[in-house]
Amino acid sequence: METITAYALTPEQLDVVQMPLGGPKAAGSRIYLEGPAGTGKTTAGVARLYHMLAAGIPADQVLVLTPQRTLAQPYVDALRRPDRPSGGEPTIATVGGLARRMVDLFWPLVAQDAGFGDPDARPSFLTLETAQYHIARVVGPLVDREGYFESVTIDRHRLYGQILDNLNKSAVVGFAATEISDRLKGAWMGEQSQARVYDQAQACATAFRAYCLQHNLLDFSLQMAIFAEHLWQEPLCRDYLTSSYTHLIVDNVEEDTPVAHDILIEWLGTAHSALVILDQGAGYRSFLGADPKGARMLGDLCDVHVTFTQSFVISPTMAALGDTLSRALRPSPAGTHAVAPADPVAEDVEPQPFSVVGTDDASVATLDPTEVLHFASHRFHPQMLDWVAAEVHRLIDQAGVTPGEIVVLAPFLTDALRYSLAYRLEQLDIPVRSHRPSRALRDEPATQTLLTFAALIHPSWGIVPSKYDVAYALMVAITGMDLIRAQLLAEIVYRPHAGEPELTSFHAIRPEIQERITFMYGERYEALRTWIGACSCDAAPLDHVLARLFGEVLSQPGFGFHGDSDAGRIVAMVIESVRKFRWVVQDLALDRALGHEYLAMVKEGVIAAQYLQPWQEEPKDAVLLAPAYTFLLANRPVDVQFWLNVGGQGWWERLYQPLTHPYVLSRRWAPGRLWTDAEEFALRQETMARLVLGLIRRCRHSLYLGLSDLSEQGYEQEGVLLRAFQRVLRRA
Amino acid sequence: MTLPPGFQFSQASLQDYVDCPRRFQLRYLLALQWPAVQAEPVEEHEQRMVLGQAFHRMVQQRLVGLPEEAIARAASNAELLRWWQSFLAYRPITAFCGDQPGTWMRGEYMLAGGVGGHRLVAKYDVLSVAATGQVTILDWKTSTKRTPDDALRERLQTRVYPFLAVQAGAHLNGDRPIDPSHVTLVYWFPEAPGSPARIAYGPEQYAADHRYLTDLIGLIALAEGDGFPMTQDESRCRFCVYRSYCDRGSTAGRLDELIAAWDLGAAPEDIDLDFEQIGEIAF
Ligand code: SF4
Repeated sequence: METITAYALTPEQLDVVQMPLGGPKAAGSRIYLEGPAGTGKTTAGVARLYHMLAAGIPADQVLVLTPQRTLAQPYVDALRRPDRPSGGEPTIATVGGLARRMVDLFWPLVAQDAGFGDPDARPSFLTLETAQYHIARVVGPLVDREGYFESVTIDRHRLYGQILDNLNKSAVVGFAATEISDRLKGAWMGEQSQARVYDQAQACATAFRAYCLQHNLLDFSLQMAIFAEHLWQEPLCRDYLTSSYTHLIVDNVEEDTPVAHDILIEWLGTAHSALVILDQGAGYRSFLGADPKGARMLGDLCDVHVTFTQSFVISPTMAALGDTLSRALRPSPAGTHAVAPADPVAEDVEPQPFSVVGTDDASVATLDPTEVLHFASHRFHPQMLDWVAAEVHRLIDQAGVTPGEIVVLAPFLTDALRYSLAYRLEQLDIPVRSHRPSRALRDEPATQTLLTFAALIHPSWGIVPSKYDVAYALMVAITGMDLIRAQLLAEIVYRPHAGEPELTSFHAIRPEIQERITFMYGERYEALRTWIGACSCDAAPLDHVLARLFGEVLSQPGFGFHGDSDAGRIVAMVIESVRKFRWVVQDLALDRALGHEYLAMVKEGVIAAQYLQPWQEEPKDAVLLAPAYTFLLANRPVDVQFWLNVGGQGWWERLYQPLTHPYVLSRRWAPGRLWTDAEEFALRQETMARLVLGLIRRCRHSLYLGLSDLSEQGYEQEGVLLRAFQRVLRRA
Repeated sequence: MTLPPGFQFSQASLQDYVDCPRRFQLRYLLALQWPAVQAEPVEEHEQRMVLGQAFHRMVQQRLVGLPEEAIARAASNAELLRWWQSFLAYRPITAFCGDQPGTWMRGEYMLAGGVGGHRLVAKYDVLSVAATGQVTILDWKTSTKRTPDDALRERLQTRVYPFLAVQAGAHLNGDRPIDPSHVTLVYWFPEAPGSPARIAYGPEQYAADHRYLTDLIGLIALAEGDGFPMTQDESRCRFCVYRSYCDRGSTAGRLDELIAAWDLGAAPEDIDLDFEQIGEIAF
């Protein structure tokens, strides 16, 4: 038992940890553990995992399932501790990850029955990026030539994204991919023209699915559908999984999908032990298909039910604030919206029994919740940002709060807002990090440089970069060369003709100009040009060409990427993106070279539009700027939170999704039932209440509200959340 | 420079350190991504990696019970099909692991244990433990040429795999300690199916490996900046992606100069040692 003493456990946690590890059907070995965030459920889960290993359960028989990888981090960290007993390795996975692995392994078993065009050939798994590419091939012509979605004003890639999302919903909710439009139309009660949009969305989804089947391509939806509808029904695959993994730990089950729950319900029946953990009041991934209500069905199969109610995270006053705010947000029986039905998908957000370690309910009730609340009203949005930056500075400088214990949150974090705030904080020497970098991959200077050279290396593609692009690439590629010299050089040596780009020799330039450019830079340019000229690259895959260019020239001494780890990381991502693109496109009949197609897709914003992930996911000691949901799903409490634009409607609104509807397509929504304004109101109200309560339960000490009369765009604002806080203040 | 939290050693990372401490530092401590070509012709190198992975998957498919004909149908490449036919003709799993009832056997199986206060992990192509306590480790080597025994014996894999089977495999042997003299490591080459390399293990070797690995891991864990010098054997740099970072040349060496493709260090077992990343929809 020495291994779990590393975790300071309460008696309740210890009880859960030490419950029987069972054999088939052993009493007490299937545990359903629920409680609000911060009550120590995952700590108990990790400690039970350790206990299992110490008790001799073969580690390779343990499967830890979480709905997304970030939520598994406490288990990953625990398993990597050096004091862990020797033996096999537990598997940590998502249901989606298992699906992909099983499709890969058992492919010959199902390829024919599932209707793939070439069942004897290997499947190609699509990334989000390559799925976008293929759907653009299928749907693009329908939009351009057939006038699909004329009435919808939305960015083309978001439109594709919503078609993919509809397919994903059918797979994770468990309805036929041909039923999408019927379900959407059955709930629609607005203008009839919208029905046409849904029909077109259906036609696109159906066409894309047929295309994937024909070419052995599997996007996320098809991986899940094949797994759930075919492989899970195949005794060979199911037995392999259920006999390999006889001990289950399923955490954050409320964020998983109905199909995942269906599979787990059957799996629990054969498992020797199971710990199912549900975060009350959560369900933040509902828009991705999470089904917190359905998750409770897993509880019915467990023989022990435990509820944790004591928070280890938040202060008693913060608990009181959460309590008061959620009351202020709930429709009052006497209020105008008393008839609004509850959100059909989410768990009830009615405050659950909840207390704070070291206090009792009575003492919490007497606390003044506004003690942990700090705010200041401003007329203009930039003033609010100034105030936030000044307060963050004061907290770090005078109150001794470390930057890593501060987060600044907004419902949606626009690039402009992030930049404005990051700039202010950096001016005050405050380290800042964000949920993602500020630039997409394709906008990185290293990427642009590579792609410009790719065009120059392949003149037959007929892609003619602008003079500025060539000058910019030379500036980045040649160490020390400034933009003025690079422009002068490009002006002279870059000579596109007959629709093809061409670089001429430095040696042919007049000596006085050579001198202005300098001979050192000239020699480097010549080395680069000679390499490009000598590259017999036409038949070689673009990713190989770029790897050679990087290794043989651009990262050599005297060139811009030499010793530059950031450039290495970006170039690695570009090469990886090209390689994955090649693997899933090489069998198609394209009317141009594959590399040429890649460059065209980057230009169109289909490819390389993703944001770089930092290589190290460990939090640095820096103030985090993030959208509220991203912070919630990272599940890391902090001392201080700042909420921006509290007066704005962003906290209450949901994404504009004209081609889909996450709630109508959920399993909780009966086909044919109308989605009314009352449902919409209730959904928004409950979603916001769940969001803010989730945030408060991850805030230890202080909550700061950023208020401005005018929004970022200059509109007057007095949103629902602001009114709720006003009610809290009046009650205090 | 300290190891990142949760760092796990593997035969590949230890081999990197032994080949070139700087490479270990760049790859694992600095996590430096440096996407240069590792070996030329790069197309052939990639093809070898793809075929190697495909062969590993086919064997795993066989181990989980897929019909042999169905597996063979997916081998569209002639070379792969030839390897598969060799596999069926020689049946190395039965030949080396036996088919006695009560034999425990898994493909793609991971073991982990503590050495010198750090974790050491290995992923086995096939690991079997007979009821008699006989342990067989099978490893597929899909290089074009059969690696000489001397070269095989020098590999860290040859030390790490049997060592970890003894140190961390007792649960596979009814919780009885595994006797090192009951452990055999077999490298099997689809290109040379009739001449596998069979390496016996024993208590002296186990003790020697324990000392060696503890010292090696201790040395790495305590090393500071200067503790990661560049290799003096510059021929290694020709097959190392960091050669431009280290100012050790520009072009990659040729595949046919290598003893075996797996000398490149990117052993298949390291490709997916990390937890899978699939199944998340990024919005
Ligand atoms: S290039 Fe040579 S010195 Fe540098 S890391 Fe690689 S093997 Fe070591």
